[in-house]
Amino acid sequence: MARKVLGILAGLMLGVAASTGGANAMGDKIVVASKIDTEGALLGNMIVQVLEHAGLPVENKVSLGPTKIVRTAILSGDVDIYPEYTGNAGFFFNVDSDPAWKNGEAGYEKAKSLDAANKIVWLAPAPANNTWAISVRSDLADQNKLKTMEDFGKWVAGGGKVKLAGSAEFVESPAALPSFQTAYGFKLTADQLLVLSGGDTSATEKAAAEQTSGVNSAMAYGTDGQLAALGLVVMSDTKGVQPVYEPAPTVRAEVLDKYPKIKDLLDPVFKSLSLETLQQLNSKIAVDGQDAKKVAADYLTAKGLLK
Amino acid sequence: MASLATLLPAAGMRWTGRNVVLVLLAVGLAGGLGLAFVGLAPNRILSSKPLSLFAAARPGFVGLLGAGLALIIVGAGARARRVAGPAVLAGATIVFVGTFAAAGDAATALVHAAASPSARVSLGGGFWVIVLASALAMIEAMNRLGIPVALRFLAGVLVAAILAGFAAMGWFDDLSIVREWANRRDQYASALTEHIELVLAALVVALLIGVPLGVLATAQRNLSRRVFVILSLIQTIPSIALFGLLIGPLTVLSDAVPWLRDLGVRGIGFAPALIALVLYSLLPIARNTEVGFLGVPPAVVDAARGMGMTRLQIMTRVSVPLALPVLLAGLRIVTVQLVGLAVVAALIGAGGLGSFVFLGLGQTATDLVLLGAISAILLALIADAALRLLAIAVTPVRRS
Repeated sequence: MARKVLGILAGLMLGVAASTGGANAMGDKIVVASKIDTEGALLGNMIVQVLEHAGLPVENKVSLGPTKIVRTAILSGDVDIYPEYTGNAGFFFNVDSDPAWKNGEAGYEKAKSLDAANKIVWLAPAPANNTWAISVRSDLADQNKLKTMEDFGKWVAGGGKVKLAGSAEFVESPAALPSFQTAYGFKLTADQLLVLSGGDTSATEKAAAEQTSGVNSAMAYGTDGQLAALGLVVMSDTKGVQPVYEPAPTVRAEVLDKYPKIKDLLDPVFKSLSLETLQQLNSKIAVDGQDAKKVAADYLTAKGLLK
Repeated sequence: MASLATLLPAAGMRWTGRNVVLVLLAVGLAGGLGLAFVGLAPNRILSSKPLSLFAAARPGFVGLLGAGLALIIVGAGARARRVAGPAVLAGATIVFVGTFAAAGDAATALVHAAASPSARVSLGGGFWVIVLASALAMIEAMNRLGIPVALRFLAGVLVAAILAGFAAMGWFDDLSIVREWANRRDQYASALTEHIELVLAALVVALLIGVPLGVLATAQRNLSRRVFVILSLIQTIPSIALFGLLIGPLTVLSDAVPWLRDLGVRGIGFAPALIALVLYSLLPIARNTEVGFLGVPPAVVDAARGMGMTRLQIMTRVSVPLALPVLLAGLRIVTVQLVGLAVVAALIGAGGLGSFVFLGLGQTATDLVLLGAISAILLALIADAALRLLAIAVTPVRRS
């Protein structure tokens, strides 16, 4: 008797979960998602607005969650499009040590061919490298004439007073700080490092800007919007040590076949996003606090990309 | 080491209304003057420079707060209860409302005086201490004056209406938290709706499952023990872990059963969030139901049976009304708990107020985090107040 009741109750729970979640049922709409960060919100909103303006049925799930959640969602078909970085494909398929990722075009082609097996199509990428970089306070950079990673390496090796704030992943992953150190001939000791647990560059950059705990240098991403506002300068990776991370829309092949217009709509949008453009747009969201939806709309209208 | 509760009795004094007000006065003054009233930051990412009440608020408002403070002191010192109560209540209300007005005005003045358009003014620790201390003083004064609960809620609504009026006139528009909201109004509205929908859906399902479970538990004690052990175990699982653990099985399930997918059950989003929230609510609801029904005196049930009532009539006319206060208390606790837990649901794509918390954490924009957090707190407080009113309205026994 009790077991029967429990069985009915379990079924009831699942049933209500299904029916109340029914508002989110897929139907014929193109589900557009993005990662829950600044650039994800910007690119996601751009995709939503371009597709909606062209008359396609869109369901907005921008800022869905971290990378793992969104990637799982597209693989299981819960989400149809989201912007991903070419370099990340290396991690998805466990081939991140392949040198092809160091080159923008080669990396893109590789990502495209690898994901074909998952029936996911990578559309045209933006020519902006949102990769790991080391940024330095601009007063420090001016003082010691630091512009590139080579300058930085020489300055640190020559006894420069540096303290770098970075995430645990950045400091430990062989592809990140260690490969910078090998290529540019410097080595940061434990007390020249401030290791934070999360991968948030806003936290590391804020630390450098405010010189918290003596930090004067921060891990950054190439397209971070707040660098200029915080008075930080990126040391350019002249030897191309880091993998290239260019944002590109990833679409489920099934949805692209149904709506081939998507490619023609999104290609010009992403091709127009240079590094400087992305930095400016990100800055409006992160520093000025404007809504990503508005920033995306203003940009698309100004560039005449809404057809 | 004496706890706060035993502090006064240990010194030979009692916790009278006067002593409570004096403690709140001390805390309010210390915090309000010692901590920053507001903080001024060059943009929304960098930390703010703390500004004290006298540095930030304009003289008129400081005077207003001073007047309110004077009233409270007069009330605290007065002998006659007829003078003390109303004086403290009036003074505390002036301080409460005045502090909000002072903060909003200070923000406008500071933002206009600042060099860059990205300057942000955020509320400091001093503001919160004064607001909380004066709110508690208001509640204490109403308590000691013996004002009925319904009128107290009315007073609360009145104060809220005054603050809403200030907001409508744009007095708070330059505070950073309001700026964050203004920049993303649509997103806020939909996040709030998602949050409320999630909590309500979880409550409904949890009641549908938990109440029968609790009733069953009163009848079958063996089952009751086993069920509560399992439910208690579920309570100990950290919320993020439970959300994460549900993703896998639900993805497998929704892949295997296509009509579930069509109905919207997925590995991420609403479904796992709902199921996790329901699981967390089952223990309090079932337990409270069991305790509520077990608390119905058997003599009353006997008398009802003796009067010739059927099982159903006994249930509806005797047991349920007597058990209702305990049930509603449990419901109130669960609702507040769910509003808080639903904040974490944003991590698995279920949206809600948590999305502001995590977006803010990612951008190190504290005010965005506060937008989400304070909204959740206010939502929980409103739900708590509403359910308390419901409980009072429904309680059959009146004390004379």
